[in-house]
Amino acid sequence: MLYEVLMIGVMVGAIYTLITIGYSMVYGVLKLMNFAHGDVYIFGTLMTYTLLAKNQWHPALAILLAAVAGGLLAALVEIVAYRRLRAAQHRMISMITALGAAYVIQNLSELRWGNQVLPFPSLFPSKQLMVMGHAVSLTHLVTLVIAVGVIAVFNIFLKRHKMGKAILCVSEDISTSSLMGIPINRTMSTVYFLGGVLGVIGGVLYSSSYGAVSLGMGFRGTVIAFTAAVIGGIGSLGGAMIGGMILGISENIISVYVSSTFRDPITFLILIAILLIKPTGIMGKVEQGKV
Amino acid sequence: MPEGTVHEAEVHAVLSARSKPRSNGTIKKKVVGLSAALVIALVLPQVVTNTYWLGLLNFLIIYSILCLSLNLILGFTGLLSLGHAAFYGIGAYTTAILMTRYHVGFLPAMLASAMLALVFSLFLGIPASKVRGDYFTLLTIAFGEIFRLIAQAWIGFTGGAMGIVGIPIPKVFGMPIRTETQFYYLGLILLAITFVCLTIIVQSRIGRALIAIREDELAAKSMGINTPWYIIMAFTIGSFFAAVAGSFLAVYQTTVTPSNFRLEESCLMIIMVIVGGMGNLWAPLAGVLIMTLATEMFRSLAEYRMLIIGGIMMLVLLFRPQGIFGSSAFKD
Amino acid sequence: MGLLETRNLVKSFGGVMAINDITLDLEEGDILGVIGPNGSGKSTFINLLTGIYRPDQGAIRFGGHDITGLPAHQVTRRGIARTFQNLRVFSNVSVLVNILIGQHTQIQNRLYHLFLTPLAARKREKAAEKKALGLLKMANLADRRDELAKSLPYGEQRLLEICRALASNPRLLMLDEPCAGMNPNEMDTLADFIRELRAKGHTILIIEHNMPFIMSLADRIVVLDAGRKFKDGPPEQIQNDPEVQDIYLGKEDDI
Ligand SMILES: Nc1ncnc2c1ncn2[C@@H]1O[C@H](COP(=O)(O)OP(=O)(O)OP(=O)(O)O)[C@@H](O)[C@H]1O
Ligand SMILES: [Mg+2]
Repeated sequence: MLYEVLMIGVMVGAIYTLITIGYSMVYGVLKLMNFAHGDVYIFGTLMTYTLLAKNQWHPALAILLAAVAGGLLAALVEIVAYRRLRAAQHRMISMITALGAAYVIQNLSELRWGNQVLPFPSLFPSKQLMVMGHAVSLTHLVTLVIAVGVIAVFNIFLKRHKMGKAILCVSEDISTSSLMGIPINRTMSTVYFLGGVLGVIGGVLYSSSYGAVSLGMGFRGTVIAFTAAVIGGIGSLGGAMIGGMILGISENIISVYVSSTFRDPITFLILIAILLIKPTGIMGKVEQGKV
Repeated sequence: MPEGTVHEAEVHAVLSARSKPRSNGTIKKKVVGLSAALVIALVLPQVVTNTYWLGLLNFLIIYSILCLSLNLILGFTGLLSLGHAAFYGIGAYTTAILMTRYHVGFLPAMLASAMLALVFSLFLGIPASKVRGDYFTLLTIAFGEIFRLIAQAWIGFTGGAMGIVGIPIPKVFGMPIRTETQFYYLGLILLAITFVCLTIIVQSRIGRALIAIREDELAAKSMGINTPWYIIMAFTIGSFFAAVAGSFLAVYQTTVTPSNFRLEESCLMIIMVIVGGMGNLWAPLAGVLIMTLATEMFRSLAEYRMLIIGGIMMLVLLFRPQGIFGSSAFKD
Repeated sequence: MGLLETRNLVKSFGGVMAINDITLDLEEGDILGVIGPNGSGKSTFINLLTGIYRPDQGAIRFGGHDITGLPAHQVTRRGIARTFQNLRVFSNVSVLVNILIGQHTQIQNRLYHLFLTPLAARKREKAAEKKALGLLKMANLADRRDELAKSLPYGEQRLLEICRALASNPRLLMLDEPCAGMNPNEMDTLADFIRELRAKGHTILIIEHNMPFIMSLADRIVVLDAGRKFKDGPPEQIQNDPEVQDIYLGKEDDI
């Protein structure tokens, strides 16, 4: 029992990591909460649902198209809500603009898909494997492998690719990066785009392993991503992973051993407790800005 | 001890030469404006007799109390709270439970609701005052969601998704409040009390301390302002009045359900404040009026509700971030 | 006994020793100039004294009390006020309100005063406003009282920031590069203003890169270099000290 719970916890943790990475990168770069993140990935997930269940597309193609669409939507949010506000504007204004964007996207998705729970087709055959004497569902295993694979590829992209390095640079220090000739606007849009893409992949994996998708998961995703990013420390891949795993595992333990109704309240209570004990997050450093 | 003062006479000259005519003028304008508003508010239900419009007016009053109190947190202190609806809800549920199950009178129930909201906001305000701006927002979201989920899940206590029904007719000093008009006047009194209390606070050194925190927290500290303390204060006072609004909602609607207090409600309040303008106390009232009328006008387009709210929100922030009547509080 | 005494103050950031073993006394009524090349730890010194940073080691005594590690707002209550190297006026509020915020520690109104004794509270507010106007008058800013702080020219914003610091009725005033970004006219106004304060008996610590300015005002100069107290003496002596000229010339051409 516990073994299975942990296994699912790790899988959910890996998915949360995917959703968090995009969020955390954006956060690391702009130091701004992106309220639209969840609604973007749920848009992509719903789109995948239509392509798969209604139009019978090949899964790979459907996910690819939806991920790109989600990425573009995220980049659009950046251009509309953040770009012109970035210059000399109170941070709160950008945050609330993004909240407005979230509402618009959510409403548009609702007009198309409604807000009821839709049956999401399973992407992988539902077989049980025996691993070291324990039964493991193939879906969970494959989902985990894919999630970890995507994280690994993204990590390589950040470390090796020119654009990846630029992203890291910008999240360190915007003004220095722009002096170094890094095109800030393009880098930002790319960060948002990639955040959207990874989010959609995470959303699709999540929905396919639970066999369901609904609009309401969007906002929850935003909160999960932010919580995980805060717990793990913002702006780093490792932090997103630690935060995502902690959330994924603890959530599953709570919903199995305590009550699934109180899963979210308890998650939130954990967050409040963490911020109470360590206001900068578990991995966060205390930063004293230069005065 | 050195004193940074100059001769009394000089100060006096400055005061009389510059400030007197000006402040007299503005005070006169303010008095005229306020009394005009008061007269209109008092006679309005005599003119508007249609219950639909009266009902709308009563919701205007509720949102006005909510937005005035939110403005203390958002506009003055510069903290983005997405948990205002939770305190509104705490007020409504406390009143509903006390009045239906324990037969407590309306006024004591309202007071108890506001005090309970104060306790909860203190509980949340202490960690919230220590964290950075966006973590504060996250905390308020978390709190709001905990509240809503508990209201939904704890069926024995809160009635679950069905909420609490059959809240009795409130009596104020022995007088039962039944009709829309009577509720209107009760609400107006509550709104007036809220307005006066917040005006007094905002115009004092406390209000200035909050503004200082919004403008530059570090500089505020250097002015001798105990910033965490003042953040907690703004948050608790705001939540206190949100609970008053919730209490009024409970007896006015005679039911409360979790859906009254969703995150969406908090967002709606924020938009009202922003559309009106955050810089001064009364500007959000204009936002309340505009947004209530707008959402009413588009009532037939219910499925576009969030699209409209979100759209207005973005348009205002992109093209007039200080709101319609606000000072340029958030524009650098 | 001096008004301010620091003993072996140490503060490092990562590997950088921003303040390294500084011991210094300041007498009441003195104007102390602090100079040193960029990055020598001058601002950090003020930030330590005002509770913005916590010292790693060492002690700070002010007016005979230990204030080491006190939070910033309590330091201000004890009577230390400051301005910032990068102007930090409250830009979206009026000039007068800036000063009134500066008087935070001087106005005794608490929340319950406002509702229980409204008349007395009002009276205290009025008195504060009067005092604020007096300060503005002294800095020739009285007729701009209702303008937003950000609409003032740079030099006047600097003056306003000093007035705001004075509004807390401090025993010690600390100015971090008050001349930065000022034109010569504004600098003259500022120098006159500081002389006026000196005449009133204020104790002032000024960080400044502008040598003529600081040499003409200060009673005593402390030179910092790489976080250490490098020299300490009267302006004439420091001015002619070849070693002081060396640390400036050796590092940059800032003066
Ligand atoms: N908050 C901080 N975090 C990290 N390093 C800091 C911080 N504050 C100061 N430093 C470092 O401490 C050293 C001293 O800085 P400080 O600002 O005190 O110098 P300064 O003498 O005021 O220089 P300037 O003339 O440029 O104002 C510098 O190396 C600076 O980079
Ligand atoms: Mg400095």
